[in-house]
Amino acid sequence: MKIKLKVKRTDPEKGTTGYSKYEIEAPESTTLLDALIQVREYEDGSLALRCSCRSAICGSCSMRVDGRARLACRAKIIALTRGDESHELSVEAMGNMPVIKDLVNDMESFWAKMRSVDPYLRPVGPEPEAEYRVPNETMIDLTHTMNCIMCGACVSDCTVLEVDKSFIAPAALAKAYRFAGDPRDGHTHDRLEKLSEAGGIWDCTRCNMCVEVCPKGVAPMNRILQMREMALEAGLTNNTGARHTNIFTKSITDGGRLNEIWMVPGSVGMFNLPRILTEMPGALKMARVGKLPFNQMIPPGMPGSHKMQGMDRVRNLIRKSASLKAPKPEVKD
Amino acid sequence: MAVYEHDVLVIGAGLAGMRAAIAAQQMGADVAMISKVHPVRSHSNAAQGGINGPGVGEDGGPWEEHAYETTKASDYLGDQDAIEVLAKEGGREVLQTEHWGVVYSRKPDGSMAVRRFGGMGKARTFFVGAITGQAILHVLYEQLMRPSVYKAMRNYEEWFVTSLIMDEGQCRGAVAMNIRTGELHAITAKATIVCTGGLGRVYEPSTNALICTGDGISLAYRAGAPIMDMEMVQIHPTSLKGSGVLITEGARGEGAYLLNKDGERFMTKYAPSMMELASRDVVSRAEQTEIDEGRGVDGCVFLDMRHLGEDLIKERLEEIYEIARDLVNIDIAKELLPILPGVHYIMGGVKTDVDGLTSIPGLYSAGEAACVSVHGANRVGANSLLDTLVFGRRAADHAWPWMQGKTFKPIPESVVEKDRAMIRGIMDRPTNGDRIAKIRRDMGMSMSANVGLFRTPERIQKQLDTLKELRARYEKVGVEDKGKVFNTDLLFHIELGYMLDCAEMITKSALERKESRGAHTRLDYPNRDDVNWLKHIVLTLQPDGSEKMTYQPVTITQWQPQERKY
Amino acid sequence: MAMKYAFWPGCVAKGAAPELYVSMNRVAKELGIELVELDQAACTGAGVIQEQNPEMADALNARTFALAQQLGLPLMNICSTCQGIESMVQDKLSKNPEYLAKVNAILGDEGLTYTPGLEIKNFLWVLVEDFGLDKLKSLVKRPLTGLRVGPFYGCYILRPSQLLGKEEHPDRDHYLEQVIEAVGGTVVDYEGAKKCCGFPILTINRENSLKQTGNHIHEAQDLGADALVSPCPLCHLNLDAQQPAAKAVTKHEIELPILHLPQLIGLALGVAPADLRLDHHVVSTKKMLNKLAAPVTA
Repeated sequence: MKIKLKVKRTDPEKGTTGYSKYEIEAPESTTLLDALIQVREYEDGSLALRCSCRSAICGSCSMRVDGRARLACRAKIIALTRGDESHELSVEAMGNMPVIKDLVNDMESFWAKMRSVDPYLRPVGPEPEAEYRVPNETMIDLTHTMNCIMCGACVSDCTVLEVDKSFIAPAALAKAYRFAGDPRDGHTHDRLEKLSEAGGIWDCTRCNMCVEVCPKGVAPMNRILQMREMALEAGLTNNTGARHTNIFTKSITDGGRLNEIWMVPGSVGMFNLPRILTEMPGALKMARVGKLPFNQMIPPGMPGSHKMQGMDRVRNLIRKSASLKAPKPEVKD
Repeated sequence: MAVYEHDVLVIGAGLAGMRAAIAAQQMGADVAMISKVHPVRSHSNAAQGGINGPGVGEDGGPWEEHAYETTKASDYLGDQDAIEVLAKEGGREVLQTEHWGVVYSRKPDGSMAVRRFGGMGKARTFFVGAITGQAILHVLYEQLMRPSVYKAMRNYEEWFVTSLIMDEGQCRGAVAMNIRTGELHAITAKATIVCTGGLGRVYEPSTNALICTGDGISLAYRAGAPIMDMEMVQIHPTSLKGSGVLITEGARGEGAYLLNKDGERFMTKYAPSMMELASRDVVSRAEQTEIDEGRGVDGCVFLDMRHLGEDLIKERLEEIYEIARDLVNIDIAKELLPILPGVHYIMGGVKTDVDGLTSIPGLYSAGEAACVSVHGANRVGANSLLDTLVFGRRAADHAWPWMQGKTFKPIPESVVEKDRAMIRGIMDRPTNGDRIAKIRRDMGMSMSANVGLFRTPERIQKQLDTLKELRARYEKVGVEDKGKVFNTDLLFHIELGYMLDCAEMITKSALERKESRGAHTRLDYPNRDDVNWLKHIVLTLQPDGSEKMTYQPVTITQWQPQERKY
Repeated sequence: MAMKYAFWPGCVAKGAAPELYVSMNRVAKELGIELVELDQAACTGAGVIQEQNPEMADALNARTFALAQQLGLPLMNICSTCQGIESMVQDKLSKNPEYLAKVNAILGDEGLTYTPGLEIKNFLWVLVEDFGLDKLKSLVKRPLTGLRVGPFYGCYILRPSQLLGKEEHPDRDHYLEQVIEAVGGTVVDYEGAKKCCGFPILTINRENSLKQTGNHIHEAQDLGADALVSPCPLCHLNLDAQQPAAKAVTKHEIELPILHLPQLIGLALGVAPADLRLDHHVVSTKKMLNKLAAPVTA
């Protein structure tokens, strides 16, 4: 089958960028990595890319294909082109990280963020003579996070990182979960506390991009959400993110539907006047065009607040749902 | 600054390298670690099935059992003093990794779970699903990310070693290129530990990653260190059809069957007692015989995991489930998986004693690059991970006290000149129509054809001639990329040189050993010959450039060689 | 074929985005789609309740599913976020039958029960898969010729793709473009189309949220877009209501009207803009309406 590649080149010595087009013949089972190696070995020895294991375990070959981060050794050409031999695949280095050369990124920021979450077990108390005794379910749960091969795909495409490089970003946060969720670690509370600060778990915009691009089913966003739940349970509620989920939930338990008006004060703090005032111009604009829901003026929980039809049945359901125990969220490729 | 000074230089940042670095750093040494890839990209991460834990809890069993089984599996070429060390100290290493945080699978009572592995009479292999190597590798790297360690240790990440520095008969570190700048520097040290892993890419196909090019073995050889047992190349029974990617022995450990094209569990004919879990060389030869005698399909036989059930596969063999699905579109819960024997591991390597020390003062080696020998003529599965940890640590444990109180004169920058000239020579060569990749492929395929599972003197001799031709081509081939930054073309060129060194050593040793033992099968000498060949073959480069071949008797402590039956 | 759906309008269509509710009902009538509103159904949780109480959210959604099933109808929503949450809950309940049984026990109090297998579709999917683009084309009275429209999907209708029917319907991440073209418009191809508007972090990190919104609008506008269209009212809140704030934060000179999907369809079907409440946006739609080929009444 014919394969057409348009690869973005970066020349580190000249400081220039450009594109190289390649057209090769290869079997139908060819992966993007196979194709790039074929190019490198037989067409253009100057093409730089990182690769090693060819079996999605070393994490070297992550790159952007048609705008989306992928592991090259896992990406079948025929799936990428949907069988269309005329489709020219656009290949470039990962996003959100500087490029050293061609398809090779400088991943120092990636590793620095990793180090920033204290990514090593910190047990407390005397070491047992034999192994720590822990339930297998916990180990299985952590193994899903340990599946992370540090390829950088999630970081490459993280939508928050695009606008804010101080966000710890999915990979490091998933790694943080691996410790927060490990019963052998003695610093869970400290970890969650630190992670609840700016740039941490509450800064994720919940766009699922990292879940979508992760080649190993780590689902970093789900780990972030698990840590949010753990942080709330641990009483770490004095931050906007925690207040946001609380006011939202309160809005539903009170009236069954979202009360948009009180989202802002409820999240930022009822007495956070400066912040509330920043929203006023927007709120006024909305009011002027009839978008301000006046039936929401009374905050949830106060007498007279808006309640949907049949709220008493919803209330019963909510009350009884407290006895449920949800299975852990998974996304597998 | 082109010259750097350290106490301990570790070359290679896989399991052995990082273990050595951690151990040295814990003792207070100024440690530097060089790796041509980021540590977590090291090939240790591809080990899937597990790590043996002799002496760990009840399952680990008495260390003597593990030592005996390792000795037997080595077809009695393993040095039993080294094997005893491995067995006695292995358990402690396994527990150390658990304390550091490895998420070993557990039994209902919370203790670590075990599975059976080839060559072991009982289940003593501890595991993390099918990603044990990756799990341990990442945990070791986590330890290196501790602020105190991270700040203290110098990590030459993506630096490529071009030669070892020898001074007055001692090894004083290495000359290395910073891949990101193309500049060469001298990284000097009092002790150097070579942990560069294996050489699978000398063969094609192979389960190994593209980076497994025998660098350290060749570097040590060129520095004059004796290299031992190179004919002992392990051919793993289950590598995936096409890519050669590894399918863990753990699958058989969980109960998978090997079937020929008639749906027979053919291992009954070759190893009626251990069946699919006989030692790897036995299983690989069985498979190849089935294939050669027409009972294979497309050069493969089959791994049958359908009876294991989807739940067990998803929990304990998820990694290979995904590999099968993504690389060959097969659902192993429902279909047969075509596999064939593939080159996987080199039992041979840099000759060391039980402390990882070579005959060159200041030069140590550990892990797959080294040959102590604990694996002899055939390595038991799940012993490699153990080997890396035990001997990685021991090398550091020996080096640090050894260097106390000694003086080490500074090394001048001029040591770098020879390699600079070598590189200039390669860069200046015109392209001549030949390509590094072509030479490498020709080497790989001819090695597989001529020095593979079943060896004959005619084919081996033919390979010696082929290697001469390849070397001549190698001396003439140039590189396409003339840049300095991240010039992977240049690196491949130098790696090919290392691989050719290794290929030559493998082939020469294979010609020399006139018997069949473990992984080395000579059709003209089909039996084991303990009278003449209970010894290692050692190759040493002499100062005058010639090569000397010597023999090293096998160290026997407890177990006299017996006929090996499974 | 009579098209009839149980209709979950979502919280925002009944709250801060009444223009969506009005235009959807109008367009449904024009297309001959009967909507039976589930006015007794509650919020999906939008992923926010799930952060602290996944059980509550699962129960609320299961109840909505059961209400639809009680009517014997497939379920339609008009919000990418609702779609994403509903698909996720549906998947979780079908994969965990013991959990579902416990949830159903609670639903039993109201005489409700949820059986896996309910069809849940956003209006965008209904339009392309059930209604059909050819049929839509045939009903266009005012083709949007000359109008350059950028699609903005909203994260939850795209990801994670395997929960959103990627296998069965591999083109779902192209439907907006197909619809734009079907009604005569020109697609503006820009990178931000499938990224995040930042709404979930508006209160938590206002600057990041508005940067995301501002950057995507700016990119589309720079490429010549006259409007964006989105099937998600939460995205609409950030893209439209917060556009002036986004302009201030990013310093981009942006002024791009944001259409709800039914509004785009309605315009093409010849419905008067006022009947689609196009005069009730924070960012005015006047300039865009003036560009349309056929005469319009404001």
